[in-house]
Amino acid sequence: MAASALIEPLRDYAVPNSKADLFTGSPENVATSWRRMAGGLAGLCDGRLGDIHDRLLRETTDLGMTFRLSGDTDERPWPVSPMPLLIGTQEWAGIAKGLVQRASLLERVIADIYGAQSLVADGHLPAAVVAGSASYARKMQGIMPPRGRYLQIYSVDLARGPGGDWRVLADRLRLPTGIGYALENRLAISRTTGTLLSDINARRLAGFFAELRRGIASSCERASPRIALLTPGEFNQSYTEQAHLARYLGFPLVEGRDLAVSQDRLYVRTIAGLKRIDAVWRWIGTEMLDPLAFDAHSQIGVPDMFDAWSSGDLAVANWPGVGVAQARAFSAFMPRLAKVLLGESLILPNMATWWCGQDEVRAVVRKRLDELVISSAFGTEVAGLKGGRTRTGASLNANERAELFAAMELRPIDYVGQEIVHLSTTPTLIGEKFEPRPFTLRAFVARGADGEWGVMPGGFARLSAQGDLRTSLMGEGDFSADVCVVDDVAIEQLSMLGPDKVPPVRRSGGILSSQAADNLFWLSRYSERTEITVRMVRNLLGSSIEVDGGSGRGEPSRRRLVDLLLNWGAIPAGAADLPMPQLCGRAFREQKLRGGIAALVDSIREIGRSLRDRMSADFWRVANQPIPPIDDKWAQTVLAASNIMIDRLSVLSGLAAENMARGPAWRFYDLGRRIERALSICRIARQLTGLDCGQDEYGLLLDLFDSQITYRSRYLVGPMRAPVADLILLDSGNPRGLLYQVECMAEHISNLPQLTDDGIPEAPYRQFSAMLANLRAMECESVDDAQLQDIETRLLALSDAISQRYFLQYERSDPPVRDTLLA
Amino acid sequence: MNYQVTHITEVKYDALVNLARFNLRLKPADWPGQTLTSYRLDVSPAPKGIINESGPFVVNIARLTLDRPTASLTVTSEFSVRVDRASPEAEDASPVITDVRSQALADRGLTARDPANYLFASPIAAMTQEIAEWAASWLAGDNRVMAAAAGLMRAIHFEFAYDSKATKADTPPLEAFRARRGVCQDFAHIMIIALRHFGIPAAYVSGYLRTNPPPGRARLVGADATHAWVNVWCGASLGWIGFDPTNSMLVGNDHIFTAMGRDFADVSPLDGVFIGRAGQRMKVSVEVTPLDL
Repeated sequence: MAASALIEPLRDYAVPNSKADLFTGSPENVATSWRRMAGGLAGLCDGRLGDIHDRLLRETTDLGMTFRLSGDTDERPWPVSPMPLLIGTQEWAGIAKGLVQRASLLERVIADIYGAQSLVADGHLPAAVVAGSASYARKMQGIMPPRGRYLQIYSVDLARGPGGDWRVLADRLRLPTGIGYALENRLAISRTTGTLLSDINARRLAGFFAELRRGIASSCERASPRIALLTPGEFNQSYTEQAHLARYLGFPLVEGRDLAVSQDRLYVRTIAGLKRIDAVWRWIGTEMLDPLAFDAHSQIGVPDMFDAWSSGDLAVANWPGVGVAQARAFSAFMPRLAKVLLGESLILPNMATWWCGQDEVRAVVRKRLDELVISSAFGTEVAGLKGGRTRTGASLNANERAELFAAMELRPIDYVGQEIVHLSTTPTLIGEKFEPRPFTLRAFVARGADGEWGVMPGGFARLSAQGDLRTSLMGEGDFSADVCVVDDVAIEQLSMLGPDKVPPVRRSGGILSSQAADNLFWLSRYSERTEITVRMVRNLLGSSIEVDGGSGRGEPSRRRLVDLLLNWGAIPAGAADLPMPQLCGRAFREQKLRGGIAALVDSIREIGRSLRDRMSADFWRVANQPIPPIDDKWAQTVLAASNIMIDRLSVLSGLAAENMARGPAWRFYDLGRRIERALSICRIARQLTGLDCGQDEYGLLLDLFDSQITYRSRYLVGPMRAPVADLILLDSGNPRGLLYQVECMAEHISNLPQLTDDGIPEAPYRQFSAMLANLRAMECESVDDAQLQDIETRLLALSDAISQRYFLQYERSDPPVRDTLLA
Repeated sequence: MNYQVTHITEVKYDALVNLARFNLRLKPADWPGQTLTSYRLDVSPAPKGIINESGPFVVNIARLTLDRPTASLTVTSEFSVRVDRASPEAEDASPVITDVRSQALADRGLTARDPANYLFASPIAAMTQEIAEWAASWLAGDNRVMAAAAGLMRAIHFEFAYDSKATKADTPPLEAFRARRGVCQDFAHIMIIALRHFGIPAAYVSGYLRTNPPPGRARLVGADATHAWVNVWCGASLGWIGFDPTNSMLVGNDHIFTAMGRDFADVSPLDGVFIGRAGQRMKVSVEVTPLDL
């Protein structure tokens, strides 16, 4: 830390108005923390501040932090600024008090809308302000949540004005997007900066999340409830944060198709049958939650889930329909509702808002148009504001103004005028230097075990080069920053587990959903398939390079390998006659055919993504690397790429072998690998042990299954059919051999949970046992093609039987069909 | 007028489907001017159970689960109903559109019959500038609302061709509008979109028409089938008045009301989920017989 004392990157930082910046406007004790933090960042890179960006990028990439903008097909790396926003405890206490008041107020408002509706009946809230929101769910009328808690987690966008005053920009009740990114930002920053955050006494986030978890649990009937995080799936914009949260909180990450409702209870389909779910933290909008209760077209919901929360005791965070109160139009009524329901003024004002549905208010908006922004009241597309965009009144020309006023006369209910909010700036590291950038802050509030509201000491800040930060979570060119609440002196910090409870010791790792088992099974099958394909390619090349070397291959055996690649769909028919390096390069790049290496790697990444909550950062880091660059003209580059790929695949299987707990998840993962490897052995051995095969082919077989060394240690002669067949097929001690795979499978199968009364035939299992017995009794001299083919068929039948029994059978929604006679 | 209505829906699947669950919206909900005197619902194969409930709009829902594999489903909904609607007010007695607009906003109710729910775009009836521009000439603010709605209804009837081949259940209203053809569902959606664009509450009604006309009158379009029309909220004192753009007539004693919602999706006669990957075909027959003849 000696260096940091000398470096003061913030010394020359200046803004025109010192109050309008979070650093320059902060009291001296907080400003000291800013300087220490900035100096510390510089100290980490020996004064070359710009280097910190690369270090941080490495952390975010390793953590698998990505996001998508709407319309993106690929994920982008998550942009984080290395410099957090620092807020002193005193200033934060004021904000927190305001947020708790607002959460309580929103809770009361929502309870009234779905309950007595007295606010509307008494004229405090126009009926159209409620009905105008797409999140108003009439079906939720009169349905009370457990413990009366409509809101469990509340997120809110805040702005700091140029005078240092904070205000609410928007309430976010439907989905708490950003809460996982806040956690990930903190993780990335603290990994990058060592002890810096604790040096400045930044409050930790763990206590907040521990309370959030207890808060949801306390809404459940059972004492040790099972809480699931319900995701729309891996293509959702914020899937990575959902997966991260699920892993961090220990909630199973489930999709709609993993769940089923029976007799008003919600269950997750696991490999051991249905397991009850007590609470869901939903990341799916209300309208998509249940195709039978809401939108019949929903493919991501759970049929009859409505019954589980209306008649059963399922807790849902947040309660369906709460999004009604997050429309912009609502902001206009919040000051009044605070008076009516709480008898208080808002501690934290929201952006002043005028809803045009009232004549006198509309007149004010028309008159003061130049000082206001005009927005759609309910976020829908409206006439006069192209693309649903917010416009400043001053930016409208005469024509646009006339068009807007005309549209506003027809549907005044669709428009709000809002004050123009000017944003404070915060020191942001751009390249080597700190520059002021405007920011907004998303804060998070959650109920704890006692139902009381707690505020996350921090949050998620969005920084932008442009001015408008109010639309989505992240826009093009924006970046995010961690927010730290800093104390003057160190205070005692809570750990995730909480101060009071040691959890009961458990050895089984929660549940394994059928979907996850399915993915694990195929993840290892694809990895194994990739590995054998790469090994085949490497062998083809090896022969073309070292013509006279030990692995030199004759043309016939090479043709056999090419035929196999063709059969497996690793290369297209036209590629078979290419010169060897081009042919191999083609196999690497092949993305259209399912057996191409590029296609297999894509499949591994895609499945890996949907398993992100189960996979360690190390696993993800390796799986996520692109195929190494290759140049067809240089066989060496293709060979090098093969070796790198084999190294990586070995790392993946090593991570699984050494790190996965020996539970059902590992069994399905390993089962996939064993089946795939056994299939490859059968298929390749059939090609390479035929009557017309010789030494060359037998040697190739040993190479492909990495058994050369074992063979040479046992036999002094070159490869001969019977000893090779024995080693590759029948030696149960050879971990690359067939019998070894089949014995592993038998062990896994006997340890998988047994399901009864599902009516699925047991025959494949019996046949499998018969095959194992045959295989054990087989003699290496007499193994023939028919026997290998029979084994292959039974392996495929076994794979089908496993998916029938343990994996998902889809339920699909059946959207309305028009009567053929409808007039 | 008393009617006997028999509505038979047959669904055939290409393969067995498992654990099918359906929502049926076939039993007429309470509505002024008509009284349900008997009702019978018959489902084959027999479901595990039927739960009757009233839905989030003016609609009855019967929820049923078939727990055994089946390749077909037959639903018979049969009822008798007495229809005795008051003749609609004269158009001149209705308020002007600007007054309807402000009366709708002054209404302090959120029930399924209150206008607030029918003011905004809904999933199928999305706001569509093109339709609004076409409709503008009938919907000027100083027009009497009934005259305006009737003008719009006649315009749809005359400018659009009835063509059951032109559209499907999920054809967006704008497509039907551009093609100037469609069926009652399309016409109702187009009219609803236009009215809402001008701040007039408008709702989608599903129902039936009598099959055989009284002697000397022509058979109406939409008889022998489920029908759809538009309820227009004509101010606090007149409330909802039905306009049938398919036949260019006010809703009277030939119309039998089943349900009202924001658009077709809220009142769709049958939807649901099943396990399986089967395609399906649906056949519907409707018989509406007057009992007083």
